Amino acid sequence: MKALTAPLAAALIGSVPILLIIALWQVIAMSGIAPPSLLPAPGTVFTRLLQQFGSLAYLDHAATTLGRLFAGFAIAVVVGVTLGVAMTGSRWVGAAITPLVRVLAPVPKIALYPAFILTLGFEDASKIALVVADAVFPILLATSQGTAAVEPKLAWSALAAGASRLRCLLTVILPAALPSILTGCRIALVISCIVVFLAEMITSTDGLGHLLVRAARNFQSVDMFVPLITISLLGLLLNAGFNAVRRRLLAGFPEAD
Amino acid sequence: MTRTGPAPALAAAIACAALFVAWEIGARLARIDGLPPASQALAQVPAILGDPEALLNIGASLRRMVVGFALGVAVAVPVGLTMGRSRHVAAFFNPLLMVIYPVPKAALMPVIMLWLGVGDASKTLVIFLGVTLPVIYHSYQGSRAVEQKMLWSAAAMGMTAPARLVRIVLPAALPDILAGCRVGLVLALITMVTSEMIARQTGVGNILFNSLDMAQYDTVYATIIIIGALGFALDAAFEWLRGRLVAWAEPAHPILAGTT
Repeated sequence: MKALTAPLAAALIGSVPILLIIALWQVIAMSGIAPPSLLPAPGTVFTRLLQQFGSLAYLDHAATTLGRLFAGFAIAVVVGVTLGVAMTGSRWVGAAITPLVRVLAPVPKIALYPAFILTLGFEDASKIALVVADAVFPILLATSQGTAAVEPKLAWSALAAGASRLRCLLTVILPAALPSILTGCRIALVISCIVVFLAEMITSTDGLGHLLVRAARNFQSVDMFVPLITISLLGLLLNAGFNAVRRRLLAGFPEAD
Repeated sequence: MTRTGPAPALAAAIACAALFVAWEIGARLARIDGLPPASQALAQVPAILGDPEALLNIGASLRRMVVGFALGVAVAVPVGLTMGRSRHVAAFFNPLLMVIYPVPKAALMPVIMLWLGVGDASKTLVIFLGVTLPVIYHSYQGSRAVEQKMLWSAAAMGMTAPARLVRIVLPAALPDILAGCRVGLVLALITMVTSEMIARQTGVGNILFNSLDMAQYDTVYATIIIIGALGFALDAAFEWLRGRLVAWAEPAHPILAGTT
């Protein structure tokens, strides 16, 4: 009984700060300390949000953002997992890539955005490149750490039983390193979400980030909050979706939770 | 064991050199207007660092970054440590943090600028917001993993709850807190550059986009090199400090991962 109610109680406690913030927002908006042009009432913002979810133009912008996000994330997963496996698989590749990663990982990737604009243009390609640059490092590091931690005896047994190196990689090493790889992918997914929005804010003609900047230029404060709430919801949805996929993939792993 | 001796530093230097050589060759082969060879961009670096106005801009950026970072750590560490020790506090904050996490902090810039103006206050607040989350998360993880028996022993010896938090939980969670601070430090730099790119008034991000608008591509790339070097240097300096402070703890991750 207690085990059943504990998550419910936690959810109730957890909803308190969010409700408090919305209540405080409502009070400030109603009291007239802040004019509606600076802080629109929460009711107005959420009505506008629902209204926008029914608007094709808005959904089109959201779809553009999502398209860039997934393109960048997918490339980052392929590149990151491949390089990560290569780093553990071969001492030479590891020795070549590790210092590069050490130098590049703490560099603020957003600073590279002007370089991407200059070489790849103002369109989708530069934004996707920025997402890849930001998302690839967590995946790469998680993969190399995950594959390095695989029990070597597992691989030896598979090789001794006559499996080829490729088959051993695909059926033994990658599945064993999967929990770690997925953790890296989850961090990368949220990062992609943030980066694509920022890139659209800096230079873009479409997407959710552009909508925020356009609203800010026109002092439409209600429309400034709507893309922000949308990106937060998208992040939560993507995270929940990813967790569902992760639970399916990791069914039977002891560390899955 | 991986970080003893000059080998990693040497390897990093070789990696840098290799990057520049690859860039030089690539640019000379590709012959795109927007990609000057590395040598031309590097030649611009002293010009930027010798320009008093640019230095003033970079200095102002760094000051905001340090203030935002310090405030962020000062707020986040107590919150994270308390969350780790009390299930109710954790349940109270967790959903809120989950909602805030995917929102790009620099994207709040236009909204915050409406309230606080375009000055230092908005930019510092955005940096503060960017730093807080990873530091809270890591402090929370560290404080949750503290051995319960140590706390019971201290309580049995008459130590009060706040004293236990400061004298036992804080030192025990220090490696995790510092790992969070490392992520937070790089995040502070990223948020700083991004907020300046969005609110183009002063700072490094502004130099970057002004020179982009004026088609001074060498300056664009030189600024990118400076920001990149700044990121690497801050991270290396912090790692050195961390090695001093918590030499007794295993380094969790030799390389920084997962920052935006």
